[in-house]
Amino acid sequence: MAQVGRGIPRLEARSKVTGRAEYTHNLRLPGMLYAKVFRSTVPHGRIVRIDTSAAAALPGVERVVTGEDIRKVIPEPYYGPAFHDQPILALDKVRHVGEPVAAVVAADPHVAEQAVQLIEAEYEELPAVYDEVEAMTSQAIVHEVLKPAGTFADLKHLAGKTGTNVALDFHLTRGDTDKAFAGADHVFEHTFRSQQALHLAFEPFVAVAEPGDGMVTVHTSNQTPSFVRMEIARLLGWQENQVRVKVPLLGGGFGAKVYVKLEPLVVALALIVRRPVKVALTMEEQFYMITKHPTTFRIKSGVTKDGKITARECEVHWNGGAYADIGPRVCQKSGFTAPGPYDIDHIKIDSYELYTNRTPCGALRGFGIPQLVWAYECHTDIIARELGIDPVEMRRKNILREGRPQATGTKMKDAAIEQVLDALAEQMPWSKPFDRGTGVIRRGRGIAIGFKASISPTTSVAIVNVSADGSASLNMATTDMGQGSDTIMAQIVAEVLDIQAEHVRVMHTDTDITPYDMGTLGSRSTFHMGHAVRLAAEDAKAKLAALAAEAGLPPGTNYPPSEIFVKRYGMRAGNVIGSGTYIPTYQSPDKTTGMSENVTPFWMIGGTGAEIEVDTETGKVRVTRLVNVADCGTPINPRIATTQLSGGATMALGFTLFEDMVLDGGQVTNASLADYKIPGMHDIPPMYNELVDAKQSNGPFGAKGLGESATFGVSPAIANALDDAVGIRLTDLPMTPEAVLRALRAKEGRPLEDDA
Amino acid sequence: MSVARTIHFTLNGRKVSTEIEPHHNLVELLQRFDLFGARESCGQGLCGCCTAVVDGQPVSGCLYFAVMVDGKSVTTVEAFDADGALSKVQQAFIDHGAFQCGFCTPGFVLMTHQLLQDKPNPSDDDIRDYLSGNLCRCAAYPEIIAAVKAAARAGR
Amino acid sequence: MTPFELMEPQTLQEAVGLLDPDDASVRPVAGGTALMLMMKAGVFAPTRLVSLQHIGAQHSEIGVSGAGELRIGAMATLSALERNTKAAEAFPVIARMLPRLSNVRVRNVACVGGALAHGDPHMDLPPVLAALGAKVSIVGPKESRDVAVDELYTGYYETVVGRNELIADVIVPAMQSRKAAYLKITARSADDWPALGVAVALHADGNTLRDVRLVASAATAMVMRLTEAEKILNGASADDATLKRAGDAAVAEAPIIGDIRGSVAYKRELLRVGVGRAVRQALSSRPTH
Repeated sequence: MAQVGRGIPRLEARSKVTGRAEYTHNLRLPGMLYAKVFRSTVPHGRIVRIDTSAAAALPGVERVVTGEDIRKVIPEPYYGPAFHDQPILALDKVRHVGEPVAAVVAADPHVAEQAVQLIEAEYEELPAVYDEVEAMTSQAIVHEVLKPAGTFADLKHLAGKTGTNVALDFHLTRGDTDKAFAGADHVFEHTFRSQQALHLAFEPFVAVAEPGDGMVTVHTSNQTPSFVRMEIARLLGWQENQVRVKVPLLGGGFGAKVYVKLEPLVVALALIVRRPVKVALTMEEQFYMITKHPTTFRIKSGVTKDGKITARECEVHWNGGAYADIGPRVCQKSGFTAPGPYDIDHIKIDSYELYTNRTPCGALRGFGIPQLVWAYECHTDIIARELGIDPVEMRRKNILREGRPQATGTKMKDAAIEQVLDALAEQMPWSKPFDRGTGVIRRGRGIAIGFKASISPTTSVAIVNVSADGSASLNMATTDMGQGSDTIMAQIVAEVLDIQAEHVRVMHTDTDITPYDMGTLGSRSTFHMGHAVRLAAEDAKAKLAALAAEAGLPPGTNYPPSEIFVKRYGMRAGNVIGSGTYIPTYQSPDKTTGMSENVTPFWMIGGTGAEIEVDTETGKVRVTRLVNVADCGTPINPRIATTQLSGGATMALGFTLFEDMVLDGGQVTNASLADYKIPGMHDIPPMYNELVDAKQSNGPFGAKGLGESATFGVSPAIANALDDAVGIRLTDLPMTPEAVLRALRAKEGRPLEDDA
Repeated sequence: MSVARTIHFTLNGRKVSTEIEPHHNLVELLQRFDLFGARESCGQGLCGCCTAVVDGQPVSGCLYFAVMVDGKSVTTVEAFDADGALSKVQQAFIDHGAFQCGFCTPGFVLMTHQLLQDKPNPSDDDIRDYLSGNLCRCAAYPEIIAAVKAAARAGR
Repeated sequence: MTPFELMEPQTLQEAVGLLDPDDASVRPVAGGTALMLMMKAGVFAPTRLVSLQHIGAQHSEIGVSGAGELRIGAMATLSALERNTKAAEAFPVIARMLPRLSNVRVRNVACVGGALAHGDPHMDLPPVLAALGAKVSIVGPKESRDVAVDELYTGYYETVVGRNELIADVIVPAMQSRKAAYLKITARSADDWPALGVAVALHADGNTLRDVRLVASAATAMVMRLTEAEKILNGASADDATLKRAGDAAVAEAPIIGDIRGSVAYKRELLRVGVGRAVRQALSSRPTH
């Protein structure tokens, strides 16, 4: 029976409904201590003094550790995937409110917490910068010295600009936009902004380090175990085989738990106190770890009178916060798709990653793409309305079709943009008349489409182990955070070996035995690890055939593996180990032009249609229907794939309407689930989800990634629906009721008046 | 000044006792008994990951003083498959794919059991109202509603 | 959280005796949800908590008298009130409000007395009881006294209940032919704390409104009557012009405060339309038995 394409329940389903699923959150080791973190209260300042004496004197406190103490076990305690810019605990300076400054280790976490409150720090405050555009010219410099990490192939050129806040600038030029603007019938220019938001995984960041004999074991809720191993080994100056990283299931990730986060701290603490140490953040502390980039995107288009886009300029400023994390990749990787999935001859892109004095910003379900789609799909809609062209037709006229070059020059392949657009139009249904209402409640509808390149060039390695009874285990460093990777990888193994997917055992990552994977991020796993797993299973299958031949079994006959082992070894004994390694081809964008013949192994396409109701007296927007459509090639598990659509769209709905980290003087004022609201049962509109009938020709069994696709279009689809309903255009996220009412009242010429 | 006291209570049908300090919450108490289905996440009683049932009423374990269960009966998600078989609610959650990362799932399962006890045939509004205090960041809400209805049809 | 002393008195008088009028770090604890939140946030570190758990049974009765008066023991949980069919029949506005008050788990633990004594202006129960003209009986070391719910609050998290006093009972006068509504406007997720709460109770003589009690919450630092707006509504008919004037009057008299759920200017507009919406909702509500 075909295993790929089956909508089977998740392999770990039973453990999840019984409360017995294994998360790092649950882990307790004999002799384990707990650490709590003392954090900066100023956004930017020189550390004058840290007084830990009262904390250290509190009964039950094992140790109080500052940045200088960390140096005793890790002389150069700076980490990061793009720049080695982030100290394990602050050294010399603090760069954002909430930055870890000291840690208290105790057997009782309540004692550690109490001791943290006894620590006092004195800072010499420095001027701070919070806005990404101001950061370009600000005299407040967040990092005086920049240290590129040089870890990843696609970021080898990274240097930063010393004496500025620019961590990375990416530029792309194709054709001549100035000339094209001069010759265009119309030129439109708008600026859109998006807010700082949070992943808010329900299993907050948690890690445990366990010192061993010449080695250390790190148990962590992390999406990139192989990188953790590499980075911890680098920090310690050890060999990779001295660092063991174990990752069970994750209670959510969404791009937060990538690269290293708490791991350097727990390792340093465990080596200092020579006991296992656990750090488990509270929900509030998650607001100081990693967030979604705020952006300012100025977009300018030249258009013919019948709506063909001839030129587009994109200037994107990414607010990276105090430490680069993976922001530079967001800036570049997403930056080159800033003009949208449109066929435009003349393109100019300037994308800047800026340091500011905010919580660091990294990847959040879309790697920057939702911020870009927010701008280009609002812009596209405004142009269509101004020119009197139907928004669907406007897009149809301009979308990139198979074989046409995207901004980088890479020719589109297996990108079902038109199909996604058609499916949206059909399911809305766009051609049917729509009642916009006349009273207090008005109605509107809108659509948006977006696309994304995959992370490249990245490597995945997998091992398939067939035991003598014929049962198979899969060993890989892809981590399951709810997206269902364990299940679909098991389906791939089962398909190749012709067994039941439910019978494949997927081992939790343990880098002592698990081979390398670049990371579970950017919707790359199905494609990259999917291939590696397929190759590993095929290797195992070939080795089984070889074993059968050694055993003297005639070729071509279909002996069950268990019989092959018995024939070969005289009893049930032995193993067959298949391995597979996959890395796609890639050409880095040219440093000056940004051009590349082969910038991604596949494209992800996502589109959203929204119907809304607007209460014109309160500004409240109620989404009454969402249509989520994506191209994920041929899904390995259609059921799990569909839940990725509704899940992604719902998350994006929160970012669209209310999720917002509110900043006051550098301090997040709503750092809790009571004050930072996320969508619940009452916020979910009826949803229609569709995966278009497509095939990724170079993908494993025709499949490609999907985890982020449904997030692309939600914000602009709702903004476009708002314009459709009441004729107002919001350019900032989130679109709160207050923002809507203010825009409505401004349009009516009686703006809301604030007190002086 | 803080005095640990001995409390006696029924945990998933078994009489137990332990020493606990007044500033510990119910989630911490359950962890002592190696029960990890109730998890502290938001710490504010809003997400429902820490749901436990005390004397037949679901409560937020993260906001419930552990000493207050003295003399009471506590049920956690681990009670449902004590005999090895899943409850109908649990089976419906699996059948309908009503979770992704699974961190919030025990809370939803416990609340659904309670809902169906109060209202064996809940309407969509009943389900939304009753479960609105449980959040799922993976947003498996449509599948959860379908699972609750299926469990109701199956008679829990 | 830091350690503290926990006392578990058996009677109300014993509990009152354990409280300290001069020490803010000594507090009574009923359900404990709100208190625990403050302790976790580090804004409250008690030295002593006086648990009311063991006196709960004597003070958690809920009853509706023959005349229709509702009496609630302060230790009754919100879910006990929610499930009380007599109370629900006699006071539909309470029955409609409770399923959307916080969540099931909080309602199972939080007590009516605690919900009134906490003084958080965002809570749902105080404005509704204030509009209904409810009063509480407060027990102190020497004597007990009655205070109207709309006079309970003196500021943000501030009440007239002394540090060594406890709310023992809540008395809600009969609905008779009154109608009532509670309008809760959230600005973010549906289950957020409200940006504005408006509660109203009134009599309708044909088209004429009388005995209007109008209460604002959440947008103001404390639950408060909107007496100027009431004056406009009393004796008038609920037409568009009157409701608009009442809304304007409410905005003029209410000291609105801004927060992350809305600026002062925005909440003013919510109140302006909220008054009329609440009155209309009350008028269209089904009458009591």
